[in-house]
This record gives sequence, structure tokens and C-alpha cells, in this order.
Amino acid sequence: MSASTPRATLVIDRERCEGHCQCVLVAPDLLDLDDTGAVVITVPDVTDRIDLARKAVQACPAIALSIAPGDTWG
Amino acid sequence: MQTSELVTSQIDVFSDAVLRDPYPYYAELREMGPVVFLEKNNLWAVTRYQGIRDALENHQAFSSQKVAFNDDMNNALAGTSLATDPPEHRQLRKTLMGPLTPRALKSIEDDITVKADRLVGELVSRGSFDAITDLVRPFVREVVSDMIGVQGVARENILRWGEAAFNVLGPMNQRTIESFPAAGELFHWCAEVTQADLTEGTLGWGIFEAAKRGEIAPESCGAIIHQYVAAGMDTTIASIGNAIGHFAAFPEEYAKLVENPALARSAFNESLRFEPPASLFGRYVKADVTFEGTMIPGGSQAAVLFAAGNRDPRHYSDPDTYKIDRDPADNLAFGYGIHTCAGQGLARIEAMAILTAFARNVRRFKADQPQRVLNNMTRALSSLPVVEVEAQ
Repeated sequence: MSASTPRATLVIDRERCEGHCQCVLVAPDLLDLDDTGAVVITVPDVTDRIDLARKAVQACPAIALSIAPGDTWG
Repeated sequence: MQTSELVTSQIDVFSDAVLRDPYPYYAELREMGPVVFLEKNNLWAVTRYQGIRDALENHQAFSSQKVAFNDDMNNALAGTSLATDPPEHRQLRKTLMGPLTPRALKSIEDDITVKADRLVGELVSRGSFDAITDLVRPFVREVVSDMIGVQGVARENILRWGEAAFNVLGPMNQRTIESFPAAGELFHWCAEVTQADLTEGTLGWGIFEAAKRGEIAPESCGAIIHQYVAAGMDTTIASIGNAIGHFAAFPEEYAKLVENPALARSAFNESLRFEPPASLFGRYVKADVTFEGTMIPGGSQAAVLFAAGNRDPRHYSDPDTYKIDRDPADNLAFGYGIHTCAGQGLARIEAMAILTAFARNVRRFKADQPQRVLNNMTRALSSLPVVEVEAQ
């Protein structure tokens, strides 16, 4: 991708996450559970999956998920 | 911020007429404005989807110090996670929530599924049964009692206690006053209960272990067990019972679930949206706040109308139609933010177990007129006679 493309990154707030797992159920392509049962983001760069990412954010009852501009490596 | 003219209404949201069918009244309030002052109830109603999310997110302005609509209950609940704001809320919530995460519940999920399959199978082979009194109520009682470790006489009383625990959250009307004795029995039992009264290894038993380890104060064990019992019964019965009621009322939608039982999660979300188990909940406005263009004075009681927000056409298209494949995972039934229903993971496991078992065992069914007993807070069926069953 060119450097000028605006990126969007899915971000999880560990302090707020209570493990309700609604995001994983709504967007299994973007999030999953690890071996300990904790929610992990499998696809942090959601630039091309923004609608699904928004659905996951909207489904979190604990307001623990958000979409930030930029990418996780930058 | 610009403030608009005060919008007021004479609707009494705790009257028999509204509790019997809240939806036309809630629609009227929602269309009057995002915030409506209810003169008869002396409270500020937040009526629209986004406003309810914003109010629940803003716990500084909308405190949980008064989640009930009468002072006696607000005093009784003081110090529980339900009725506490940050920073005190955090540790209380952590203790309450610990055993209730999907991760923690994994070990009992299979057992719940087996219980549901067995019970649904038995009832279907009978040919006719009451979906509430023969299925949902005994099932939830068994699951929650087994999980907390409740035995003996308390187990016999637990459904009556759970129902009363929600009624008494209303204003001091007849329903609240009549429910105080039963709600008091539950408070009393929780104050007296010891670890020896509860089944070893259960969630309730574990609360006393946590106190032994010094993680929580010994005197708070009763309050935590009260929250599990008071919150774990009535709304779960309401939401699963409502879902089966929706299947009976909308057979074409139910047929889609039979065709594809994987729709059970979506079906449950749609039932929660269409008819949330608690139509509303209280909040307390401590200081003057301008919200959605309305100045709400400090010292006011507020209410978020989940059942109005869940049918807000600004958020859901065709909101008065039950669509089993809509999957509204963002509906307001479990609340939102730091006080979002702590038991929703367990409620979802119970609901998935029953609704999936129902869809696998019952191809078609016919039900007689459902009955309901009015409750200040919960919207639930008390009877749903299934008179004809076509088994799978």
C-alpha cells in the first residue's frame, strides 16, 4: 500500500475488556480467543474491513474496543 | 451548549397500562424528544438509542447511586457493584464478574447444554407443555441454584425471591410494597448464609474461599451472593421465555431457525432487542448537566428506556418487526459500559442451550394465548401453553 493511504487499526483496551467475547462472535475474521481464553486481535489493520470492525466495536458491551487511525507498527 | 425547551409527559411508565404494553407509550416518548421529563414519575427519561449509550458511557453525569426508583432499595443496594461508581466500583465488579466470564463458564457449558436437551426432549415427547412453567422457570432455577450451590428450602424460594428482587426496584407503588416481604427474605437469607450451607466447589462456595484468602471482606460475601441470586433469575427467565413467545408469535421466523439452528445466537439477540427483559433502569444525576440539549438539574432521578432505544428507527430499520436473522449484537438489553450485565455470559449459555434444543426438537408448534404477571422492571411471560407440537 502507498504511504498516503489512511490506515485504520483495531485497538483493545485491556483495562476495560471483561471477556464478554461479543466481538469474537461478530467478527471472527478479526478477533479470536487465545489459549487462555483472552480476546486477541488477529487482524489489527482493518483498513479494508472497516464495516466489520465497526460492528465489532459496536457489539462490545464494555466499550473496550476502538478503531484508531494509523497502524500498530507505525 | 444550546438548550431546547423542556419536553414533559404525563405518561406513568410504572402504570398497569404501560407495563401491559409499553411499546406505544415508549414510541410516543421517543418521538417527543431524546430526553423527556415524566411528571407523574418525577424522573427524566432518556428515550433514544444513541442517547442511552451516551448516558450509560457517561457514569460521571449519570451515577449508579440510584438505580432503583425508591429510596429504601437504593439504601439497601448501597455498596454493591450495581449501585457504586468508580473508583470503588472497579474491585467490586472484578470480584462479581470473575466467575461469570465466558472463559470461567466454559466448564459448566456442556452440563447446561445436556440439561436443556434432556428437559426439552422430555417435554416434546409429552406432546403439550407450558413453555414457561414446565421449561424455562425450572431450567433457570436448576442452572442458577446448582451454580451458586443453593440447596434445601432456599432453592424452593429462589424464583419467588428473584421476581420480588426486581419488582422492588420500582417506585413505591402497590407492586413494590407487596414485594418487599419476599425481597426481604432474600436479603435475610443472604445475610445469614454460611459456606457450609452451599455445595462445595460451587460459585457461591468460592466467594467464601475468596474471603478466606483475604481477597474480599468476609462481610461482603452475602452482598455478592445476593447479586447472583437477585440478578440471575428473573431477567434470564424473562428473556428466554420472551424468545419462545416470539417463536410462537412469528412462525415464519421460527421456521428459519429450524432450518438453520446456528441462527440461535441471532435469534436471542433479536428477542433481546425486540422485548428486553428489563424495559428500563435507573440512574442518578448528581449535578446539573446539559444532555441532548436538555438541562437536567442536579439531584434528579433519571431512567434509560432500553425498550424504547431498542426500537429506535434512527438505529434499527423496521424496528417493530421481529427478524430472526437480524443479529442486533449491539442492542441495549444488557446495558452498556462499566455496569453492563455481569451475568450476560451465563444468560447467553442458558439461552443458546434452550433455543438450540427447541429448534432441533420442534419442527412446528402452536401455543395458546400467553399470560403475563406485571412487574415494575421485568417484562416476562408467566405462562405460554404449547398445545401442539410437531417433533423433528
